[in-house]
Amino acid sequence: MNLSDNEILELSELCSALVDGRLTDAQRSRLTQWLAASEPARQYYVRAMGLSASLCSYASEMQVEAPDAAPADKIIRVGFGSWLGWLAAAACLAFMLYVPFHRPAPEPVTANLQPEEHVARLTGARDCRWSHPAPSTQPGSYLRKGEMLDLAAGLAEITFDSGAQVVLEGPASLCLNSAWDATLLRGALKANVPTEAMGFRVSNASVQVVDLGTVFTMVADGSGAADVLVLKGMVETSSHDSTGQRTIVLHENQSRHFAQSGISKVSDPAQKFAWVAQPVSLEHFAPSTRYVHWSFDEAGGDVLKADAFGAPLSAFDARLEAISDAVIATVRTDGRWHRALRFNGHHYAKAAFPGLSGNSPHTVSFWVKVPEDVQLSSAYAMVAWTAKGEKLGSHPVHIGWNRNPTEGTVGVLRTDYGGGFAVGATPLRDGRWHHIAVVFVPGEDPDAPVEVKQYVDGHFEGEGKPSPPGTEVSEKFREPGASTIGDTLWLGCRVGNNGPRRDRFRGEMDELCIADHALSPGQIVALMKDNRPAPTALAARNQ
Amino acid sequence: MAHDSQHETERRKQLVALMTQHQRRIFSYIYALVPDRHDAEDLLQETSVVICEKFDDFRPGTDFVAWACQIAYWRIRYARQKFARSKVIYQQELVDALAQTAAEMREELDERHEALAHCLQKLAQRDRELVLTRYEPGSGVPEAAQRSGRSLEAAYKALARIRKLLFDCVSHQLAGQGLT
Repeated sequence: MNLSDNEILELSELCSALVDGRLTDAQRSRLTQWLAASEPARQYYVRAMGLSASLCSYASEMQVEAPDAAPADKIIRVGFGSWLGWLAAAACLAFMLYVPFHRPAPEPVTANLQPEEHVARLTGARDCRWSHPAPSTQPGSYLRKGEMLDLAAGLAEITFDSGAQVVLEGPASLCLNSAWDATLLRGALKANVPTEAMGFRVSNASVQVVDLGTVFTMVADGSGAADVLVLKGMVETSSHDSTGQRTIVLHENQSRHFAQSGISKVSDPAQKFAWVAQPVSLEHFAPSTRYVHWSFDEAGGDVLKADAFGAPLSAFDARLEAISDAVIATVRTDGRWHRALRFNGHHYAKAAFPGLSGNSPHTVSFWVKVPEDVQLSSAYAMVAWTAKGEKLGSHPVHIGWNRNPTEGTVGVLRTDYGGGFAVGATPLRDGRWHHIAVVFVPGEDPDAPVEVKQYVDGHFEGEGKPSPPGTEVSEKFREPGASTIGDTLWLGCRVGNNGPRRDRFRGEMDELCIADHALSPGQIVALMKDNRPAPTALAARNQ
Repeated sequence: MAHDSQHETERRKQLVALMTQHQRRIFSYIYALVPDRHDAEDLLQETSVVICEKFDDFRPGTDFVAWACQIAYWRIRYARQKFARSKVIYQQELVDALAQTAAEMREELDERHEALAHCLQKLAQRDRELVLTRYEPGSGVPEAAQRSGRSLEAAYKALARIRKLLFDCVSHQLAGQGLT
């Protein structure tokens, strides 16, 4: 017999109270008796509990926390959040032999296997032989969160999105948990962690090593024990063995052996230091990259000249718009490198940029200075263009600062794009120069979302995440015939379907650069520090 | 030796793939029998350990979820004492009845899960944010209430209303497809 409408209402309330932990004793009694007696009630109940289980799943998928001030303590969580530990452990099955699953245990691994969520790239190799060759083990490939690398022999260099670089020496197994952490199951690795990636960590069953800006080596013997040797700087190690948890800091030239039985000295440390200090030659995979650059160093006029870091590229010259001759004379100011362009909240600039609206990877970088007293109305947009690829739809891409407090801290870097947005962590409204880089990686899977990665002052912060589906803004731009202003770069204004909107950016911009590839963290830092691209690393170099 | 190692690695990959694919289904099954999220999560972890230990017993090509749910069922029986002080205690007879119903409804629950994604899109943004915040790992009704600017009581009521809306939306969607 089916449930009546009133019974459905009552059962719905009971299930809701149950899920929220608000069931009274009387309600509990009523529910259990009902479920015991009625198959339709049990069916309704199973559906209701299934709904909540599904909501757990969807909510977890949408929750992404990026490392910020204390990256070592932050965990990028996707999938089923706190109860995902078992899955991650399953992904690194050998690890399960040594670490219990209950939640209070150390959480060196909290990632899910996300087919298109990339956290690193395979950037170098020498004599690599993979246990299971796959597309992701091809030179230059992107590597997924949760992916386990089984290197049978040779050397492989992995560059994490955080900027940390790891050279793995086979035979070795490494699980990529996030852009900020990995688990070494067996074998040896050497981690070179620049300042921008401080907080990167590597763990195994016995120890978690949190980098404090250094070069260190970990050698895991496959039984859960590991040697940690610090070549430069210092690391914080947290051991979790039979005697409990201990945290010690290892400085340059110090080493320790970590095992389930406890901490001890490394055997033959001098020999091991000598071994890991040997330079290693790798072949690096760096595609030829084209750059278009605007220095904003002109003495005057309304033309903003483009170049390729040397040779002029006049086809990409930008022009100031909505500006009088009198104001043109005032828009150049002291920049981060020579001169910069000032946006006063009224004028903007645009340049033809063939291919910009398409579906190819690229990186946009520039310096920006946002006044402390800037209003919310001046958040749109430092850089913008309309997209017309299948993935980005015709939704404009806007790089600006966040003005929506429900989606992140107001004033931090924000990138909006078709189907998603990324929000950073560093406040930009402080009247100081900040280096911005935003990497767009459409990916090859037509069903996977575009990946957007933000870097502020060289720090990786703010991966893109999907917009809640069905929001007004993401639906609006899917109208047929939307956007006819593609392949145009807009500076200092918000872009709509028919061109610039009234919203403008107020602040200063310098050294805008667009590369036709997804630049690596190291390449971004090179642009920031040297104001020129890093030397192409086609030739082997010493590691 | 090398062959054994390769076989072991292959089995490990199979296990990871199966776990990845079916984790939600196993959790959904456990949650119906132990309707406390944290308890259900603990049981899922315990179940996963047993699954890994016994994975050699699993025959490829057979129903992994059914096999995993059987393991979960026995973990729940085994752990009943652990949940003795839990807010909701189901007698073993009721657990058995719910387990049977849940097992029979697995395909429907999959359909409902898919349909729920569409129904979430139809929710007003404020409601969607409330319900997803409520279900975020480590979050709860108080956090969702605070973030949405609602009182705690208003949040409880809103969540009950939203769940009913979603439940009905999913049912209607499946009915439209002739799936119920």
